[in-house]
Amino acid sequence: MLEAFLASTIAMATPILLAALGELIVERSGVLNIGIEGAMLVGAFFGLTAAYFSGSIAMGLLAACAAAVALNAILALLVVNFAVNQVVAGTAIDILALGLTGVFYRRFFGLTGSAFTITPMRMIAIGPLARIPLIGPALFDQSALVYLAIALVPIIAFVISQTRYGLELRAAGERPEAADALGLGVYRIRWQALLIAGVLSGLAGAFLTMSYTNTFIEGISAGRGYVALSVVIVGRWNAWGVAAASLLFGAAMALQFALQAAGTAIPYQFFLALPYVMTIAALAFMGGQADAPSALGEPYLRS
Amino acid sequence: MTTARKVSSRFAAVFAPLTGARIMAAIRPLAAIAIAALIISIVLIALGASPLAVFADLWQGAFGNWLAATDTLVKTTPLIFTGLAIAIAFQGALWNIGADGQLIVGAMAAGAIGPALGGWPHPIAILTMLALGAIGGALWGGLAGWLRARREVNEVICTIMLNFVAAQMLSWAVHGPLMERSRSFPQSTMIAPNAQLAFYFQPSRLNCGMIVAVLLAVACNLMLFHSAVGFELRALGRNRRASAFFGLPIRRLTVGVMALSGALAGIGGAVQVSAITHRLFETMSPGWGYEAIAVALVARLNPLAIVPAALLFGALDNGSQAMQRAHGVSPELVYIIQGMVIIVLVAFDAVASSGLRDAFFGAGDNVTAAPDVMAEAGDA
Amino acid sequence: MIEAVGITRRFAHTLALDRVDFRARPGEIHALVGENGAGKSTLISIFAGRLKADAGTLVLDGTALAGGSAHLALRAGIVAVYQSPMLFERMSWEENLALGGFGAGASHRDPAAAAERARPLAARLGFDLPPAGTSVEHCSIGERVRLEILRALSFDPRVLILDEPTGVLAPTELAPFLELLRRLRGEGRIVILVTHKLGEALAVADRVTVLRHGRVAAERTSSATSESELARLMIGEIDSFGGAGSISNAADAAAIARTSAVSFAPNHGSQALAVENLTLEGDGRRILENVDFSLSAGEIMGIAGVDGNGQGGLVEILAGIHSPTSGHVRVMHDRPLAVIPQNRDLDGLILEMTLWENLMLARSLRRRFTRRGWLHRSQAKAYCGDVLDQFRIRSAGASSKAFALSGGNRQRLAVARALAGNPGVLVAHDVCRGLDVRATAEVHRMLKEFAAAGGAVLLISSDLDELLALSTSLAVICRGRLHPVAQHDRGAERIGLLMSGVA
Repeated sequence: MLEAFLASTIAMATPILLAALGELIVERSGVLNIGIEGAMLVGAFFGLTAAYFSGSIAMGLLAACAAAVALNAILALLVVNFAVNQVVAGTAIDILALGLTGVFYRRFFGLTGSAFTITPMRMIAIGPLARIPLIGPALFDQSALVYLAIALVPIIAFVISQTRYGLELRAAGERPEAADALGLGVYRIRWQALLIAGVLSGLAGAFLTMSYTNTFIEGISAGRGYVALSVVIVGRWNAWGVAAASLLFGAAMALQFALQAAGTAIPYQFFLALPYVMTIAALAFMGGQADAPSALGEPYLRS
Repeated sequence: MTTARKVSSRFAAVFAPLTGARIMAAIRPLAAIAIAALIISIVLIALGASPLAVFADLWQGAFGNWLAATDTLVKTTPLIFTGLAIAIAFQGALWNIGADGQLIVGAMAAGAIGPALGGWPHPIAILTMLALGAIGGALWGGLAGWLRARREVNEVICTIMLNFVAAQMLSWAVHGPLMERSRSFPQSTMIAPNAQLAFYFQPSRLNCGMIVAVLLAVACNLMLFHSAVGFELRALGRNRRASAFFGLPIRRLTVGVMALSGALAGIGGAVQVSAITHRLFETMSPGWGYEAIAVALVARLNPLAIVPAALLFGALDNGSQAMQRAHGVSPELVYIIQGMVIIVLVAFDAVASSGLRDAFFGAGDNVTAAPDVMAEAGDA
Repeated sequence: MIEAVGITRRFAHTLALDRVDFRARPGEIHALVGENGAGKSTLISIFAGRLKADAGTLVLDGTALAGGSAHLALRAGIVAVYQSPMLFERMSWEENLALGGFGAGASHRDPAAAAERARPLAARLGFDLPPAGTSVEHCSIGERVRLEILRALSFDPRVLILDEPTGVLAPTELAPFLELLRRLRGEGRIVILVTHKLGEALAVADRVTVLRHGRVAAERTSSATSESELARLMIGEIDSFGGAGSISNAADAAAIARTSAVSFAPNHGSQALAVENLTLEGDGRRILENVDFSLSAGEIMGIAGVDGNGQGGLVEILAGIHSPTSGHVRVMHDRPLAVIPQNRDLDGLILEMTLWENLMLARSLRRRFTRRGWLHRSQAKAYCGDVLDQFRIRSAGASSKAFALSGGNRQRLAVARALAGNPGVLVAHDVCRGLDVRATAEVHRMLKEFAAAGGAVLLISSDLDELLALSTSLAVICRGRLHPVAQHDRGAERIGLLMSGVA
């Protein structure tokens, strides 16, 4: 039972982690991207659609990334080049995504989407490691996307703090005007960050419809994008913190199912609400903005 | 020289509405909608539907006949309430994305006590319903405000999370404690008849809720532009640091504005229960809280302008139902419309305002204020 | 050689630069002088690419420069160091240097390597580098300026532009700094020094260009001119008073005369403000330490200090934004305490609001026009009109937006608002920065009249002339500590030493 819970924790943490890592890069560059939820949603839907019609998982993943990147590109144009209010732009993206996925879903699959399923991604077991009691299945018998997410954590941590790219990224998020004066190219940096985040959000969405489940339901992202935003804050804007926070939220979501299965008298809505309540609580206790990049969320227009 | 200056500035004030800047500001929302319509036409063609036919059906569905028109008004009412909620909060630079949750909690408060109002005189019962809605919404909004003021919790994330929590609370309520006695359907007990807002000109569903909404819009306008509190709210929204410097009570304002915003949405929820649904269901809002953002932006955050802006989106909502039947284009199209309208609007603002930037970016003055929602927010 | 021809630049209603020609040769230190608002900052911003000129050409060593890009200017060899250092505060100083020229070269932006490369240069310049890994936000303002200059030099600039650099250097750091400039000149670079301190300009520059109201008033060789001539050229018209920094037209003269005519008896009357053992900690350091003083009615207390020694923290505590870590502030009577903050655009005004709304930011004024929660707009607007007239603020009326005002007029508005609220204590931080001679005289007169009528003034400034002219009592703030200066001790040199923390 505990094994299943741990495995479930890792699985539930994965989409949040992927999206949050992308958002980490974006926020370090100075942009607050509220539109993650929308990117995940389009990734989830269009990825599944492509996989369904082409019969290939790879096509699906590609399409998921492409859709999310396209959405992020619209956001980038608005918040980087036009320097509009980032909260409003991000919310618009979320609404737009809801509409796009809803309309195309009905168009392709009518009112009931029962036929809209695929063979989900395989679980890849890493040989003997997967047989370790308790943590084996959790860490070594998951889909490829999980391994990717786990691998990305140290990579992104290193990139942000130790490489030239990371240095320039952080400069753009601290003082965009000074960064531009030094010729770093803030617009380019922020665009790049948003496009990378698009890929990651797309994969996060794809995980939901192509690995964790094998179908699409409306609203499948269920606020995970916003949870990813909190994860970046609670994780204090560094990759390891983000990983830890994602794990925490993954556990909360896994707990949901475990407790339900255990059959308590507590109504199921309580468990459904739990991750959201936890997010608020986490922010209340650890949500200070003191470690945020200085220019986060401020529209910046090159004069 | 003094007199001449006074005369010339009064002169300018009289003719200000006719100057280019004001006209441009008014035209911008319309232009944005036109461009959004264009983009949506492209989407429709991609879906294999004819844009002209779709728009015609939209219009038909919204205003085609008396019943449709009154239903458009009915669908406009909640948008006025939530639109006001958003406008007030955004004027204070408090990004309240939680109007949905606040509406739900307001509805729950009204729907829970509603059945017990049987013996009360009708006006008292109605006022009680509205008050309950206001209190419920104020608590839900105020909570987010308090978390922001005291714990620096980002109100965007917080209010969205609270939306999900409120939805679960509602679900639990109609499946559990508030469920109707017959237990056959997940809905609450019907509220007492005298707590209901009557329909006029039946079979239309026209009711006094719209009047309440318009009155609140007028009240909000007065508050925002003619009261000391409204002034403080607007100052806070435009420059937090300066507001702090001049002793504006930032924390109290934050909580108060969010509570007021929530109250407005909550009243909207109560009106829905009182006038339309008469009880609580699993879903009480089809996303009005998010749609209200588009409404508020089109209205440039001006309470009076919320009414016509809400009407526009209400018409879209109503018309899109008909569209589903005729063209197989799902009603979710309206989300695309809402999203595009917001995007085009803010993009327009940005492009237009960049000319303004040079005007006040003085060398050595270090003011890198970029165009923002606030800069275009209407003045009375 | 850098050559600017016909540079013109507008901001809304103001013509900041009007067909300005400027020329500087290699191996030359060129001073750019003028009053506040003459256009110096605008001109160098155009040189450095931070702003784009509306008209005119810029040529460096025969190649025309496309304006408007700081990066392009950098590549062409023009580097500017502005008044407020543009460093990345949360990052370490090594990382900051790595983002400059020390980190250049393909894949290497290694902070440690950059620091190593910077050391020899720093040694030559006599700069001490902070301890390894210190983030810039924990560096003092002097260290930040030095880092910025280092970073600027790392680009091996053809043209180095410095905007009022000595304002943030302590008086004892001045001489080595000027020596640095001479060294740079010896290396064949062009140094453009923007300053309003005529003595400094003549001491180190080869040539001087005087700007007045956006136009070039004159260009002189420094050996062939004097401070008084420069002062005259800065202000314009006939000379009837003589002496450095003096006024030379009738209106300005009248303004000065009115100011001098105001006399008042200092230190009469009751205590208005008591600050007891004030300590403020933040950002991991002590911003204020045991600050203790009291202010009486009719007194103008001057606090001299280089920017960044705790003045901002003191003002914020007095304004009520921050609570001190320990100690109290007591305002003695019920008339309010009015603050004129240093950074008027960010803290003092709400640029997107109208002028009358900006006036209403002051609580006492707002109360005056509020009845039962109702803010009477028309009355407030009318009152604003009166204030605009009384303080001679040039604007498009009470209902115009604040961002349309010029810098000087914005400051006038801030002063007017502070005085209009009938305060008992007035805290003025760098109140005359950005004002021309006449406006400065007027503000000084208003402050003196305010004190004469029984008000108490806390005048925080880095301008010694202003402080010496106005203050009835004087103190120096350095590294968060307050050092009172006795009456007989008021030599500028003595104060300068106190300001740099030496004495």
